[in-house]
Order: sequence, then C-alpha cells, then structure tokens
Amino acid sequence: MTHLKPILLGVLSFTVILLAWEAAVRAGWLNPFFTSQPTAIAAALAREARSGELARSTSVSLREFGAGFGLAIVVGLSLGVVAGWFRTVEYALDPFIWFIYSAPLIAFYPLFVLWLGLGTHTVIAISFLLSVTPITVNTAAGIRTLSPTLLLAARSFGARPHDVLWKVALPASVPMMVAGLRLGVGRALTGVVIAELFVPSGGLGSSIAYNAGLLRTTNMLASLMVIVVLGVICTQGLTAIEARFDSWRTGPGL
Amino acid sequence: MRSRALVSTVSVALFLVAWEIAPRLRLVDPFFTSQPSRVLVASVDVIRSGTLMHDATVSLSEFAVGFALALLIGVPVGLMLGTFPTLRHLLDPPLMAVYATPQLALLPIFVLWLGIGMASKIAVVFIGASIPIIVNSMAGVRQVERPLVLAARSFCATRRDVFLKVMLPASLPAVMIGIRLGLSRAVLGVVVAEMYVSQEGVGNQIMRLGSAFRVDHLLVYVLLVSAFGLGATTAARKLEERMAR
Amino acid sequence: MTPHIRIDGLTVAYDKPLAAGAFVAVANLSLDVSRGTFVTIVGPSGCGKSSVLLAVDGLTKPVAGRVLVNGQPVSGPGRDRAMVFQEFALMPWRTVVENVRFGLELQRWTGEDLTARALRYVRLVGLQGFEHYRPHQLSGGMRQRVGIARALAVDPEILLLDEPFGALDAQTRESMGDELLKIWEQDKKTALFVTHSIDEAIFLGDTVVIMGKSPGRIVETIPIDLPRPRTIDVMDTAAFVEYRRRIRHHLAGEIPAHA
Repeated sequence: MTHLKPILLGVLSFTVILLAWEAAVRAGWLNPFFTSQPTAIAAALAREARSGELARSTSVSLREFGAGFGLAIVVGLSLGVVAGWFRTVEYALDPFIWFIYSAPLIAFYPLFVLWLGLGTHTVIAISFLLSVTPITVNTAAGIRTLSPTLLLAARSFGARPHDVLWKVALPASVPMMVAGLRLGVGRALTGVVIAELFVPSGGLGSSIAYNAGLLRTTNMLASLMVIVVLGVICTQGLTAIEARFDSWRTGPGL
Repeated sequence: MRSRALVSTVSVALFLVAWEIAPRLRLVDPFFTSQPSRVLVASVDVIRSGTLMHDATVSLSEFAVGFALALLIGVPVGLMLGTFPTLRHLLDPPLMAVYATPQLALLPIFVLWLGIGMASKIAVVFIGASIPIIVNSMAGVRQVERPLVLAARSFCATRRDVFLKVMLPASLPAVMIGIRLGLSRAVLGVVVAEMYVSQEGVGNQIMRLGSAFRVDHLLVYVLLVSAFGLGATTAARKLEERMAR
Repeated sequence: MTPHIRIDGLTVAYDKPLAAGAFVAVANLSLDVSRGTFVTIVGPSGCGKSSVLLAVDGLTKPVAGRVLVNGQPVSGPGRDRAMVFQEFALMPWRTVVENVRFGLELQRWTGEDLTARALRYVRLVGLQGFEHYRPHQLSGGMRQRVGIARALAVDPEILLLDEPFGALDAQTRESMGDELLKIWEQDKKTALFVTHSIDEAIFLGDTVVIMGKSPGRIVETIPIDLPRPRTIDVMDTAAFVEYRRRIRHHLAGEIPAHA
C-alpha cells in the first residue's frame, strides 16, 4: 500500500492544481486572457481533435521528431561504436561533439534556413543535431569502459577482435546506449519544438507561435499541453526501458 | 597511442583548412558556407562597430539575472524537496512534467505575459536553469548515505546539525551537476528568446544578419555565442571536478 | 552494584515496507554489562545484534523493554556513549582530523581547542602524518581507525562497535583487533562489540554473548577467562580453542541453551 502513496499524491497534486486554476479564474483572481483556464483548454483540445487539426499538427511534429531522432540513433550509435573502439577517432571527433553539445545550436538557425529552406528539413536538422551528441558520447563511453575482466575472459576462450566487438563489447554497452537514447529523446523533442517556433512547418510548436501572434492564449496552452504529454511519455517510456537494462551498466557517460 | 590533444588539434585544423579551401576549389559556394578568412575579416568589422558591446551587455545581463534567480531560488527549493518526503511527493509530478517538457515551448507564453523586453528573456533563463537545479539538488539530498546521518545522530546531532553538517555538504556534488546543466539551458534560453522576439541582444542581431544573408557576420556572432556557451559549461565542469572527492 | 548498562526485556521491530506486520529483530532480550568490561556479541547475520547496539545508543526506539545506563533510561543518543560503524560513516569531504573533530563539534565541546584534541586522538590510533588526508585516500583499516578516533575523542563512558572490522580483509582485521585492545587497555571503557567472527569475539571479549535469530535473542553467555593483556598468540592456546569449539557448537545449535 505504501508504494501507491506517491502515485496517489501525484494525481492529487495535478487535480488540486487544475481545480485551483479553474477556481482562480472564475473568482476573478487570474485574468483568463493571460492564463486561460482548464475547461477552456479542454474545450479547445476537443475542438481541435474533432476538426482533425490536433491530429495534423501532432503528426507533423511526430514525423519531424521521428526523422530527427531516428537519424540521430543511426548516426549516433554508429559513430559512438567507432569512436569507442578506435581511440584516435574519438580524439578526432571530440572537439566537434563537444561543440555541438555545448553551443546553443539554435543560433545556427538562420544558416539552416539558408541551407535547407524554411521547412521541415530545418526542424529535422536541429532535432538531429541536438540529440545525436548524448547518443554518441554514451555509446562511446559504453564501448570504451568495457570491463577488462570480460575482455580477458573472452580472449581466454579464443575470441578474436571482431568477436569481442559483436559478442562482448556491444551487448555490454547496451545499458549505456539506452541511457544515451533517453537523454537524446528529450533533446530531440526540444529541438523539434524550438525549431517549430521559428519555422512554420505545421507542427505543435508552429501552432503555438501562430496562436501567440493572434494572442490566443487558450490555443497556445492547448498545444503546449500536448507537448507536455508527449514529453512525459517519451521520457518515462525510455526511463522504463533504461531500467530494464541497467543491471549490467558500466560507465558514467553523460 | 597518439596524445589526445594532438589528434584533436589536428582534427580541428584539418577542418578549418578544408573549410577554407573548399570554396576556393569551387566545391561549395562561399555564399552559403563562408570561410575562416572571411569570418576573421568580419569579426574585425564587428568589433569595431559599437553594436557588439551593446548587444552583448543586454544578453549577458538577461542571462546573469535569470541565472542568479535560478540559483537563489532553485538550490534551497531543491534541498527542501529532498528533505521533506511529503512535500516532494506532492510537487514531484508537476516538477517532472516540467522537466520532461522543452521549457522553451513556454517562450511565447512568457512573451505574452511579460512583453518583448528583457523581462521575458529573464523568465526563460530562470525557468530553464532552475528546473535542472531543483531536480538535481533534490536528488543530491536523497542519495546522502544513511550511515552518515546515523553517525551524526549518534554524536547527538540536532536536525539542524544534520542538515547543515551532513546533508548540505554531501549534496554539493549533485547541486553542482544541476548548476552545470542549468547553465547550458540558460545560455540556450537567452539566445532563443532573443531570436524569437526582441529589440536588442545577440540573438536579435543573429536574426537580423540572417535575414540579410550576411553569413560572414552572422558566423561571427554565432561563434561568439557558441564560445560563451562552451566557456560557461567548461568552467562549471572544472568547478564540479574540483568539488568532487 | 548497578550494572553500567542494563538491557531489560528489549524488543526491537521494524516496519516491513511492502507488507503488513513488522519484522521483529530482537525479542525480549535482557543483558547486564558491568563497568569496564569488554563484551562481545556474536551471532549469525540477521540475529539483531546491530539492533541491540542501536537501541543502546538511543538511535532506535524499542517496541518494548528498555535500556538503562547508570540506572537512567536511554531516550536518545548521549555524550556517554559513542559508536563505531561497520561502513566507517566518515564524512567524505572532511579530512582525517576534521572527521575526528566531528563528534566534538556536534556535542558542542568548549574549553579546549577542538583541533588540538582531535590531533591527539589521530596520533593515538597511529595515523600521524595523515591528518590532512581525505577518506578516499585511505585504506579500509585506516578509515576505521579514524572512526575509532572519532568515537574516543568525545570521551564516552561506553564504546559501541558495530562489526567495525567487517569491511576489512582478514589480515587487517587481526592487526586492528590487536591495536584496538592496546588502545582499550589504556582506560578500559565499557565496550559492546558486535561481530560475526567467533575468533574475534573470544580474542577481544571478557564475556561473549551468543545470539540466535528469528527472533533475535540471547542463546548463551560465556565468560572468557583468558589473561590480559592479550596478544595474537593467545589464539593458539588450548583454552582459546576450547572456547571456539563451544561457541561454534552453540551457533550451530548442537548444544541446547543451558546444557
């Protein structure tokens, strides 16, 4: 019974916040122009769901997210494995990875528009760049921190380098890889949303920016709610997957 | 085994050389990619004009105020949440929801509330930085090893003693991690917020230069911002390492 | 004469996090400890020996029964008792001397320079030269010496040691036991020492208390009649071997409690 307590308190927490919000607006303490209210947002969401608009903008964002994150997975995992296996590659890539990770990539936005146009491609590019770094870094760390004991055991049974890679290093690094994916998924979604604030690609972020221009708070918050739900699903989903693989995790990574 | 620094330096050097030569060899159009030489020329131009000083000051102030607020409010809130379980269970779900959301999605809302001036930028920086600080400070308190608290209590420590002499120092590394993560979000926040809508600041300048297709000058600003982001994160990392035992 | 420590019908129980009911660690345990004696408690894992110590130190509240020190009931930690922990429990951000000062600071000692006092105890446990090292730079044995110094620095009447050498390797354990006795001989504080090593229990103790589990209770109390001061060689004597045999049998349950 005690382990249900956090879940119950959580639900309670959200309910209280929503009720207080609604009550404050109705009592005149909060100006709905600035804050909207839960009932209005729910109504807006229902409307958008019926008209298909919700589905459309969500699917645009999801497609961009899928493309950006998918690309990041492919590139990140491959680069990470190579960088983890070959020290020289890691050293060579290090400054670039570090740069992409620490620099506010959104500053390159005008350049992306110049190169890729004012559309989905720019969004995907930003999402890709933001999420590829944790995946690469964590994968490389996973491969690199391969326990010397495992290595010794493998070699004592006659494993050759490519056996070691496929049968020991890669499976052993899975927890770190998944941790990198978890970090990447949040950043990929962030990339999509931020880019969509600038790029009218028809996704959820674009919808927020569009409604902001029209001062339609309710619609803005409706799209935001969808983003929050997506964010939570992605993070929780990957955290759950990560937990399944955590038992044989090796290095610290990011 | 090549030294790390050597390979990294060579790698960057090769990149710069390729960047410079490719347009000369007509492999790429320099209009789209610029060149190191052009960027250098443009940077001289940028420094001589007075606008950089002004824009940088605006951006830095927004960053500084927002981040300072995040520290002053975030660290105590995070520590308190870590110490009192009921409080934590109540606030954890909304906190995690905010943590999982791209906080910059709140940008248009902040602009709606606070206008296009510095206030909305400070708000974005504050939200961006305070969330990782709170979450990590909270985690820091929670992972203080039980034997340490027990030992303090066995020597007659009061609750205040336990908090000040055990919890606080023991959570410091985690708090530092939160600060480092918050720092990068803060830098991102300032830049994005200014790019979205503002009348001054580095982000604003980036958008102007972008729409005018002045790629060389644009790159100067972009690289400046990147350097700042890099510098801040590196400083935080160094500090974190020094604090770790 | 009032015993220094009187444990009277002690019952300690812990809540089970995911199920109903409670886990009884110790049931109705009674024990008297005279001033200046070194009592060792030996028993299998899970027999509640640590719980007894925590109750004496006032860190857990018993469900039933009580602990009296000098005739007064124990209601919480106090300056008259100090504990040494199995996992060392040193503050990782403090140096050796700062760790030894820790108890003095918490107990608000005045009237002398805390650092000077701490340094004396650092020297007592043989760590001179390491005053400004941090725990992670020390070996396990050295860390535990810091723990012992920290406990001694507050000049308690009673020393409580919860498997202090449990995390150390066999060689270090032996030498630490030897050193502990040498330090103890200097002022012969009342000591309660928990261990699961029979040899350690016999070597160190004036009395060995054997505990059984489920629920935790005293199975037998054996006075150890070996001369003091003791050295490692005593472990080879016939008397020692005989004690070992008896205790092992008790623990294996072959001899009933009061044969």
